[in-house]
Amino acid sequence: MAIQGMELFAVAVVMLLFFIMLKQFGIWEPLGLDESFDCDLELSMVRHQPEGLDQLQAQTKFTRKELQSLYRGFKNECPSGLVDEETFKSIYSQFFPQGDATTYAHFLFNAFDMDRNGSINFEDFVIGLSVLLRGSVTEKLRWAFNLYDINKDGYITREEMLAIIKSIYDMMGSYTYPSVREYAAFEHVEIFFQKMDRNRDGLVTIDEFIETCQRDENIMSSMQLFENVI
Amino acid sequence: MAAGVAAWLPFARAAAIGWMPVASAPMPPPPREMRRGQDGLIILNVSGSKFQTWKNTLERYPDTLLGSTERDFFYHEETNEYFFDRDPDIFRHILNFYRTGKLHYPRHECISAYDEELAFFGIIPEIIGDCCYEEYKDRRRENAERIQDDEENNEANDLVLPSLSFRETMWRAFENPHTSTMALVFYYVTGFFIAVSVMANVVETVPCGYAPNRVKEMSCGDRYALAFFCLDTACVMIFTVEYLLRLIAAPSRYKFVKSVMSIIDVVAIMPYYIGLVMTDNEDVSGAFVTLRVFRVFRIFKFSRHSAGLRILGYTLKSCASELGFLLFSLTMAIIIFATVMFYAEKGSSASKFTSIPAAFWYTIVTMTTLGYGDMVPKTIMGKIFGSICSLSGVLVIALPVPVIVSNFSRIYHQSQRAEKRRAQKASKQAGQALVCKINPTFETQHHHLLHCLEKTTNHEFVDEQTYETNFMEVTMTKPPMSCSSSMSSSPHALSSCCSRRNKRKSFNVPNSNMTGGRRGSIQELSTIQIRERPLSNSRSSLNAKFEETLPLNSEEQPYITAAVISMPTPPGTTPEGGDSTSSTDFLRSNIVRVSAL
Repeated sequence: MAIQGMELFAVAVVMLLFFIMLKQFGIWEPLGLDESFDCDLELSMVRHQPEGLDQLQAQTKFTRKELQSLYRGFKNECPSGLVDEETFKSIYSQFFPQGDATTYAHFLFNAFDMDRNGSINFEDFVIGLSVLLRGSVTEKLRWAFNLYDINKDGYITREEMLAIIKSIYDMMGSYTYPSVREYAAFEHVEIFFQKMDRNRDGLVTIDEFIETCQRDENIMSSMQLFENVI
Repeated sequence: MAAGVAAWLPFARAAAIGWMPVASAPMPPPPREMRRGQDGLIILNVSGSKFQTWKNTLERYPDTLLGSTERDFFYHEETNEYFFDRDPDIFRHILNFYRTGKLHYPRHECISAYDEELAFFGIIPEIIGDCCYEEYKDRRRENAERIQDDEENNEANDLVLPSLSFRETMWRAFENPHTSTMALVFYYVTGFFIAVSVMANVVETVPCGYAPNRVKEMSCGDRYALAFFCLDTACVMIFTVEYLLRLIAAPSRYKFVKSVMSIIDVVAIMPYYIGLVMTDNEDVSGAFVTLRVFRVFRIFKFSRHSAGLRILGYTLKSCASELGFLLFSLTMAIIIFATVMFYAEKGSSASKFTSIPAAFWYTIVTMTTLGYGDMVPKTIMGKIFGSICSLSGVLVIALPVPVIVSNFSRIYHQSQRAEKRRAQKASKQAGQALVCKINPTFETQHHHLLHCLEKTTNHEFVDEQTYETNFMEVTMTKPPMSCSSSMSSSPHALSSCCSRRNKRKSFNVPNSNMTGGRRGSIQELSTIQIRERPLSNSRSSLNAKFEETLPLNSEEQPYITAAVISMPTPPGTTPEGGDSTSSTDFLRSNIVRVSAL
C-alpha cells in the first residue's frame, strides 16, 4: 500500500526522534571528527621570570628591599609574571568605579609596555615605577610625554591629546558636578595647546613640552606629589 | 579581593603623574604616610606548629584578632612569638585567609570545631569563598537539624510533667502510644479493628455459593448481609469514637481537621453514614455503592501505626517533581507512537486502532513490554512501527529509569542549590558588608587619588541623586543642599565601604581653594560603620541621625566621617585653604572629605 505524504512525514519524524534518543544516550555517535581531544589540550601557561635582582637594581632606582617587596606584590597578583591588557584594564577600573577607566588604562598600558609585546612583565612594571617615583622631573615629564604620544612618533597632535583628555574625562563618569559638557574636552585640549605649542604648528614636541612644564609652578610642584608612594 | 586591589594602589597613584601636565587645577597635597616601620616577619606559634608571615599580611584585616592589637595579649616574651593554644590544622586555613583573601572550609573538619576557631579569631563565616560556601552552609544546617532532633527526642523521653491537663494527656496518649498502658491498649484495639474492617471489605466480595433461586453466584456480602452489616457498624462506631476523641484532645482543632490523617478518617467512615441516610432512595443507591469504594481508605489508617508508610508517603511527596517529569516524557512518547500507529493502521480492515486514544492502550502495553495481545497491528508499516515502539519502550522505560532518576536528583539538587545560593546571597552580602573594613590608609590614599583626578578635570564626583537635583537647579546661587541617598550597591569591595561625598561648597569660584574644610560628607550606610559611628567624635551638628544630612546652617563645620576611626580629634576650626602647610591639619580635613563613588 502506498505511503501517503502524512504517513511519510510521520515516519520521518519518528525515525528522527529515535536517532536523537540514541544519540542522547551516547549509544550512537554521528560520524564526526574527534574534536574532543583538541579542546582539552591547552597550551601550558606562558610564564615569565624576571631578570635577576642585581640587574634590576642597576636599571632602577629602587633599593633591594623595595624591589623585593614590589615583586612579592606583583607575583601575588599575577602568578604567571605577566599582565595582559584585559587584566590591567580590569584592575585599573576598580579604582574608578564611577567612570569608565578602560580607555585611559589602554593608554597607560601602552606607556608601560615598552617593548610593545602586549603584556607587561615585571621589568616593564618596575622600570616604569622607578621613573615615576624616583626619577628626576625631566624623566617624569618625558614619561608623561610618552604617554600622551599615542603613536610614539615624537609629536603630540591635537587628536592624540583629545583622545587622552577624553579618556580622563571618561574616568569621571557621568555623575559629576558640574556635569561634563560635550565640548569640555575640546576646551581642555585648546588650553593645553595654547600653553604648550610655542610655534603654533599644531604639534607639541618633547622640547616644547618639557620647557613649558618647567615654567609652570603648579605642574612642577605636582610632579613631586607621589614621591613616597612606595 | 580587597587585598589584591590594595596591592595595585601604589601603582595607580604613581600613574597619576600622567594627569599632572594637563591638570586644570592644582593638586591636593598627599595624605601623610604613616610610616609603619619596616615590614617584618611575625612568628605565630599555634600549639607547637610555627607559622610565619609578614606583619602586613595580618594587618590587611584590622578587625580580626590577628590583625589588630588584640594579638598582643598572646605575645610570649620569652620566645618572642605569639602563642595560641588552638588547633593548628584549622589555623592553617585561617592564615591562608589573610594571605589570599579567601576563606576555605575543609571538608574533613568538624563544622562546630571550625566555627569555634573562626569565632575565636574574629572571622565572620560569611566571607567563605564561593567554592566552599555551599558545603559549609549545608553542613551547618545538618548540624543544626541534628541538634534540634536530639533535643526533640530528649524532650519526648522526658518524664511527664505533672501539670498536664486531662486533654493534654489524652493527646499525648494518642500521639505516643507507648506512654501509658491505656494508650497502648487503645492503639492495638484500633489497629485490630482496622484490619478486621479491611478484611471484611475484601471478603464480602468473594463468591460464596449459590442462593436457592438465583442463577448467578452470590457474593458473601449478599449472603451474610446482616453479619457483615453488624461488623461494619461495630468498626465504624469504633472509628467514629476514635475520631471524636482525637478531635476533642487536639490542641489545635483547626489544624487537626486540616491534617491528612483526619481527612482519611472522615473519608473512611463517611460511606457508612451516607448509606444509613440513603438506603431507601433507589436513584442514589447506585452512587452509594460506588461510594463504598472509599472504605478502602481505612487501610491508610495503618499509617498511624507504621512509620514506614509515613516515610514512603513523605518520599513520594518530595520526589513529586521528578515523577511528574518522568510521567510527562512517557506521555509524550505514548502520544507520538499512538499517533503513528493509528495512521499506520488506518488502512487495514477491521483494525482495532479505531482512534488515537484507542491506540494509547496499545502503546502503553507495548512500551512497558506487557504485550497483552488484545490489539495487534496488521499492516507492515504498523508492524514496523510496533517493533520500533517496543524497542524504544525498553529504552525509554527500562534503561534510563536509573539514569533519569539520578540525573534528576542531580538537576533537582542543582536547582535547589541555585535557590539556596540565591537565598544565601543576601545574608552573604550582609556579612561581607560587615567584614569589608578596608585598611584606613588605603582609604585615604585612594581618596587622594580620586581627588587628584577631580582636580585634573576640574569636575567633581557627585552621587546620582545630587546629580539629578543639581541638574534641575541650574541657576541657583546658594550652595546646593543635597541629600545623601543610599548609593546603589555595587559589588566592588571598594565602593561598598567608601562613602558618598556630599559637596556643599559654593560653586561660583571654580578655582578657589576647594580642598579641605567646607566639605561635608555623609557616611554610606555600611553596617560596620554604623556600629562605629558612636565611637567617632562628632560635632554637635552630627548629633542628628545620619539620615538627616546636611543641616542647613552649619556651613562652617565639616563632618567627620567614621571611615577613619583612628583619628580621634575632629579638625580644628574651619580648615580653610587647600594647600595648607600643616599636614596634620590637612590630614584631618582630608579625612573629612570622602569622595563619592
